[in-house]
Amino acid sequence: MNLRRALAVSRRVFMDLRNDKRTMALITIAPLFAMAIFGLAFSGEMNDIRVIIVNEDVGMATPLGQAYISKVLISNLDHDALDIETMNDLPSALAMIVDGNAWAVFHFPANFTNVTMLAHSQETEASTAVNIYIDMSNINVADSVMQVFNDAVQQTIAQSGLEPPVSLNRTAVYGQNADFMDFFVPGIMAFVVYILTTLLTLITFVGERTSGTLDRLSSTPLRESEIVAGYAITFSIVGTLQALLLLTVGMLVFGVSVEGNVVLAFTVIALLAIVCQALGILLSAVTHREAQAIQLIPFIIMPGFLLSGVFWPLEALPAWLRPFSYLVPPSYAIDACRSVMLRGWGLDMVWMDIVALVAFACVFLLMATLSLKRRG
Amino acid sequence: MPAIHVSKLEKKFGDFKALDGLDLEVRKGEVYGLLGPNGAGKTTAIKVLTGLLKKTSGNAEILGVRMPCKDIAQRIGYMPQETALYVGLTVHQNLEFFGKLFGMDKAAILAREADLLKFIDLEKWRDELVANLSGGMKHRVSLACALIHEPEVLFLDEPTVGVDPELRVSFWNFFGSLKEKGTTILLTTHYMDEASHCDRVGFMRSGKLIAEGEPKAILKEAGTSSLEDAFLFYARRDMQ
Repeated sequence: MNLRRALAVSRRVFMDLRNDKRTMALITIAPLFAMAIFGLAFSGEMNDIRVIIVNEDVGMATPLGQAYISKVLISNLDHDALDIETMNDLPSALAMIVDGNAWAVFHFPANFTNVTMLAHSQETEASTAVNIYIDMSNINVADSVMQVFNDAVQQTIAQSGLEPPVSLNRTAVYGQNADFMDFFVPGIMAFVVYILTTLLTLITFVGERTSGTLDRLSSTPLRESEIVAGYAITFSIVGTLQALLLLTVGMLVFGVSVEGNVVLAFTVIALLAIVCQALGILLSAVTHREAQAIQLIPFIIMPGFLLSGVFWPLEALPAWLRPFSYLVPPSYAIDACRSVMLRGWGLDMVWMDIVALVAFACVFLLMATLSLKRRG
Repeated sequence: MPAIHVSKLEKKFGDFKALDGLDLEVRKGEVYGLLGPNGAGKTTAIKVLTGLLKKTSGNAEILGVRMPCKDIAQRIGYMPQETALYVGLTVHQNLEFFGKLFGMDKAAILAREADLLKFIDLEKWRDELVANLSGGMKHRVSLACALIHEPEVLFLDEPTVGVDPELRVSFWNFFGSLKEKGTTILLTTHYMDEASHCDRVGFMRSGKLIAEGEPKAILKEAGTSSLEDAFLFYARRDMQ
């Protein structure tokens, strides 16, 4: 392989990208747009979930006056997450759920405080409960409502000096102060590079085939491996720059923190870009024009979207589907980037992901070269 | 040694024979025109000769090198039927890119580029994106890209299609000047009137040559005044 010719191809692709303002916009703005939209949409924090509280608790007399545990519990509810309305009448409150005007009703019975306190002092075997009526038609909303309520219960128990039967001591081994964006940015870096590099190479290469430039290249001393290498050089650099841009904005705007060696994360991204440009060239071999290339887009996006673990963990997939994630290159890049950036892992820990990406790169580069060698 | 030697060349696409035992010999420094209607196999012949298509059987040699062979690429130039340029690059960037593929250094590319731009009369358009050029201008740039490395053998596939009459004349004048420098040119065209500019022409039909010779000799043998009528004469004779 002649490196000078491969570099000439690389430079040509760079110039083509630089001269095309729309492609430049796609390369730079699209990743940021994707990060902002996905980041906000999938941030996992729900707000303003409408719930009704029906509080019939009469409280309990204490030397300091009447005490109401229900009121403490209500004040401990997350008022950002819940849009709370108070009603006196349980049937009317339930009608709000039935009519779709509220997600849940928290009903505190009249003896709530009394029985809770007596139960704690073991003066009675009686027990009490908050009755929660909930619309389970949206499991995510229902789970959030229950989570908010449970948090308030824990907080109330702690404030009341009551001893819970079981206490949980959680110590974060990794991601002590990590929030959703810390988890999301490493994933979206790899995901964006996967999607954009594959599509950009696919469209560019279909153009090479249809415009006749590939034929013209084939009549020159340029070898197929040099074409593939030239594209690989360009897109690995473009992919790394995209990741750098995403990370910079992620750190400055979203306050994303990086625990590990960011250079290692970028190396992973560059490797992924090499895999993806080879995949784009390979896919271009089965298309004859741009319109056919567009038909391939769902087959590129969907596996990455569903199986790479970018939006939800692989553990959320059915057991039979999980092995397919091993066939999707961004799975390895996302895992490695998260491990490096969130856990602070080094090469000694993420080497298996890197080996997998290198293996993908070798196979795809070879196949892409062979696809170009194939002549009619 | 001829510049191009082809014997019993066959190229099949499935059951269809695009080339059916083509025999062809082009001498060094000669302008040879392959003439024939669409589908006669002219483009297929050029693509097999330049290594873009694999032959099914037969033999093809360029400058004594049996094809396909990548080593010969340095010595040949190819201008495809489509303009086949990077429209997102400027005229200069296209010429520079192809020059680099042929191993030329920057100084050599710039010197050659200046000559070529003067010839194709696009000096003022050097830094313009190819996308912004007219069809005729793109054809001229395409020819310049094929010539950047001063090839010994030049393959031109329908070089004058879509080119205005004035430019066609200048193209043919330039082919003449290339021939004087010793460049061998094999070109295809379906403009019969242009063939009179060639040293020799070959009529192609159904993937093989049905007649070959100097234009005047062909006209004389066919007893016609135009190459178009001569082609019809040979086509009828071939069918019989």
